[in-house]
Amino acid sequence: MKNKITELGIKVLLLFPILSLFSCHSSDQQNGESSHRTDTVVIQQMQFIPASITVKKGDSIVWINKGMVDHTVKDEKSNGFYSDTIHVGQSWKMVATDSADYDCSIHPTMKGRIVIK
Amino acid sequence: MLFFFRKKAVTFFIYLHSNFSNKHNYIMKILKFFTKSAICFAVSTGFLSLSANAQKAVNLTDPEIASIAVTANQIDIDYAKIAEKKSKNAEVINFAQTMAKDHQSVIDQAVALVKKLGVTPQDNATSKSLKAGEAKTLKLLNSKSGKAFDKAYIDNEVGYHKAVIKEVETALIPDAKNAELKSLLQSVLPVLKSHLSHAEMVQKEVNK
Repeated sequence: MKNKITELGIKVLLLFPILSLFSCHSSDQQNGESSHRTDTVVIQQMQFIPASITVKKGDSIVWINKGMVDHTVKDEKSNGFYSDTIHVGQSWKMVATDSADYDCSIHPTMKGRIVIK
Repeated sequence: MLFFFRKKAVTFFIYLHSNFSNKHNYIMKILKFFTKSAICFAVSTGFLSLSANAQKAVNLTDPEIASIAVTANQIDIDYAKIAEKKSKNAEVINFAQTMAKDHQSVIDQAVALVKKLGVTPQDNATSKSLKAGEAKTLKLLNSKSGKAFDKAYIDNEVGYHKAVIKEVETALIPDAKNAELKSLLQSVLPVLKSHLSHAEMVQKEVNK
């Protein structure tokens, strides 16, 4: 009986570092995910809300169209990002890599800005 | 305005005593003046009838409001379809495409709401006046081509959106009884205001 308890104790001691290693790896992954957050821009009343959003490089931004009509999100620089049509009730997500001024190509008076801190 | 016509009459008298080249230039100026006056008159009569209705004493019912909302949006789609066919200007075509899509989207949502509420749109003085104004404007737009068409179309869009915004703000929203209909009209207002800013932007380009 005493031998069995000792054997079990040794097994637990051997498994502990292995389990710890797994848990550390998972934690790293979680830390990695949490370091890149997702921010939201709502498209409503013919405006990007907020009009200017400050994020870290690698963060994601999701635009949600809560308006009455279709919109787009288009980098004002040529060859920049472009969402294509975001229909009413739909959304579009992008990873922010650079600061940019953008607009809605359907409604050019609608303007927004991404600032990388 | 009368003073301006009197001034033109005096200038016309001077023209009778001038040489051929001056006469030709003067005839062209007179023609341009009357063409511009005709456009201003045709466009303004359509809008004046709308703003006169906005100042009426009788309140609109929800079925009447539904009819005005659908009619006003459909009219701008009709104008846009002509512009898509006749214009060669990329900015004018782009604007017209936006008008056709946005106003159709508003109609779809308005129709869905009135169906849900069980409201049957009812013709009224304002919707009839809108249709009468549309007939005049369509005639005018169909008579133009090239840059003259672009100018007539975009000038009309600026004036039309101003008139419709006024109607929505002063009559449709205050008179709407149903909360969902009122909310829909309140949501349409920023769309119309954005269209007006866009139209003014295109108007500047067309007038360059």
